[in-house]
Amino acid sequence: MEIEHIKADVLCVGGGIGGLMAAIRASELGAKAVVAEKGNALHSGKGGGGCDHYLSYIPEIHGPDMDAFIEEMLQTQQRHNFEGLGMNRIRVHIAKTFDIVKMWESWGIPMKYRGEYHYAGHAFPGGFRCLMKYEGRNQKPILTKKALEKGVEIVNRVMVFDLVSDGNKVYGAIGLNTRDEKIVVFEAKSVILGTGGISRLYPSPTPGWFNNIATRLSLTGDGRAMAYRAGAELQNMEMRIQHAGPKYYARFGQATWIGVFRDPQDRPIGPFVTKPERLYGDITPEVNKNIFLEYAQAGKGPVYMDGRGMSQEDLDYMMYWLPHEGNTPLIEHMKADGIDYLKHPVEFMTYDQGSGGRIVTNEEGETSINGLYAVGDELANGVSNASVFGWISGENATLYAKGANIPDGKEIQDLIDEKKGLLEKIRGQKNGPDWKEVNVALQQIMSDYSGALRTEALLDTGLFHLKRLKQKALESIIAGNQHELGRSIEVLNMIDIGELVFICSKERKETRGLHIRRDYPLTNPRLNNKVHIIKEVDHRPVTEWRPTQK
Amino acid sequence: MPPIIDDSKCTGCGVCAEHCPQDVFFGSEIKKTPVIAFPEECWHCYACVLDCPVPEAIRLRTPVPMMLSYR
Ligand SMILES: Cc1cc2nc3c(=O)[nH]c(=O)nc-3n(C[C@H](O)[C@H](O)[C@H](O)COP(=O)(O)OP(=O)(O)OC[C@H]3O[C@@H](n4cnc5c(N)ncnc54)[C@H](O)[C@@H]3O)c2cc1C
Ligand code: SF4
Ligand code: SF4
Repeated sequence: MEIEHIKADVLCVGGGIGGLMAAIRASELGAKAVVAEKGNALHSGKGGGGCDHYLSYIPEIHGPDMDAFIEEMLQTQQRHNFEGLGMNRIRVHIAKTFDIVKMWESWGIPMKYRGEYHYAGHAFPGGFRCLMKYEGRNQKPILTKKALEKGVEIVNRVMVFDLVSDGNKVYGAIGLNTRDEKIVVFEAKSVILGTGGISRLYPSPTPGWFNNIATRLSLTGDGRAMAYRAGAELQNMEMRIQHAGPKYYARFGQATWIGVFRDPQDRPIGPFVTKPERLYGDITPEVNKNIFLEYAQAGKGPVYMDGRGMSQEDLDYMMYWLPHEGNTPLIEHMKADGIDYLKHPVEFMTYDQGSGGRIVTNEEGETSINGLYAVGDELANGVSNASVFGWISGENATLYAKGANIPDGKEIQDLIDEKKGLLEKIRGQKNGPDWKEVNVALQQIMSDYSGALRTEALLDTGLFHLKRLKQKALESIIAGNQHELGRSIEVLNMIDIGELVFICSKERKETRGLHIRRDYPLTNPRLNNKVHIIKEVDHRPVTEWRPTQK
Repeated sequence: MPPIIDDSKCTGCGVCAEHCPQDVFFGSEIKKTPVIAFPEECWHCYACVLDCPVPEAIRLRTPVPMMLSYR
């Protein structure tokens, strides 16, 4: 495999919302910014199909007390989303949102509805509405264009899979071209990981199918896997997250639907709305995403999103927003199959989103490794979080890069040789399992041994089995071309993350949220304000409890 | 499985193959109808359909396991 070298002051890994925002800011401040994207930045990532809610605080709308806004926001799904990140970071985030809203508007992303800032959905009737409706259908092409205008170099079809680091400081990354037989070595003074979440660790609603997931199948936790291998700290890897959405057509966007969640006897399952309310939606699943699964298991389901009784005007409003929310194909499917939402309630379900872990960062976006930053879904979900911290990290990485240099040491060459060896070995393997087969095996271990129920015996058994799978995969996984090679490396990354989920689950000897330890049913109050850290020291995982950042 | 290209309309411009984030059209060549190399990796994001310059040259088919459940 041929080797290509690219130099940068700031390398943004992942051309999603966070990575593009970071690169735009870095370039604007004079840094040579490069984005490495495994797909094509135009439509890649979770925001690639569009989004329609922007968490934002405008004093003229919400009043001068930002903390009151934050308090309200933390009663919605944002509570789980921002858990363990600390109030300072939340304040830094929220205080910056209106600036980004205005900036996006000036770049051509429509942030107003009929000439005004308009807040709706994800809200309790009577409370603050914290999420602005915006027309995000074209957000990615617009951000991509902006980045190019600012002089950012975007390298598409390169999957970055390891960082170049001495365990203390990062100075580049290694990627593989997913089309041509090439390895790409980035020599960079600082690196920002904006690789998104992890979508294929646990099974999708359709077992064995990778594409039927609420987010995207190319989001495989690469950032956290390579950060860990480079010595950076991760946190709360054992915590599980769920999401809810239409049954069988797995897709984010629950809060764009207008209607009432009802049981088969037409009784509302939550206390918040009794008729379709366009400004609020039905926030019940944000209080408990597991509710659809609980209804099913108790024999009380199915549960439907029921829009019957809503006006044609409200339906038009919802159908106006769903395409912005990345739901165009779902609407097309409803049209093609003649599903009239005014007459037909649509069933909803709970999706297993897998590990809720994140890379440890501070309010500047820095990780525990010098020169390494992390943004977006590597920390918490949401466009607002990705764009604000993309911007902040782009700024700080540029500052850092000014005083940094890249050693032209032997270590880089050794790492390149090692990685090249691994890639060529996989390409040369024959008659083994392909990435899909390994991924099915991984999902089955994760859901059976580290899923809804956990015990010491299950975790030990699962971890042992997972290690065997890892060994077998390394020895025999096959890839007939560069695309499949990328998918294989993704699965290997997910196996690494899976191992951390097991190790951290074993260490958390309590029940908390969706981490249900049958052998430790108590929630230990001593761990209330603690985060669970894991990092690699001398090639071994080391865990620690640490107070949540202030 | 998705997507489906109408040979008689497609001009082989390559836009869908270039824009697809999942590289479903891996191995396609300009001036030829794109190949659907990895249909099962399509996430139904609709980018190929929306960005195709030729009306109705490309469309998506919803796989049957993904049919919405409703009453
Ligand atoms: C249908 C849908 C609707 C949504 N609606 C909303 C909404 O209304 N409001 C809201 O706040 N949030 C919404 N979200 C969530 C939101 O889109 C994400 O939180 C946000 O896009 C995260 O940005 P990010 O940059 O961190 O990650 P992403 O946008 O997911 O980008 C990650 C990027 O990294 C690339 N990448 C990954 N690994 C590698 C690698 N190894 N090498 C190179 N590149 C790599 C990926 O291809 C991708 O482009 C929605 C999500 C979906 C799926
Ligand atoms: S819908 Fe999206 S993922 Fe599927 S082929 Fe088209 S561009 Fe690719
Ligand atoms: S974008 Fe349309 S016309 Fe161009 S190659 Fe694809 S299907 Fe054919």
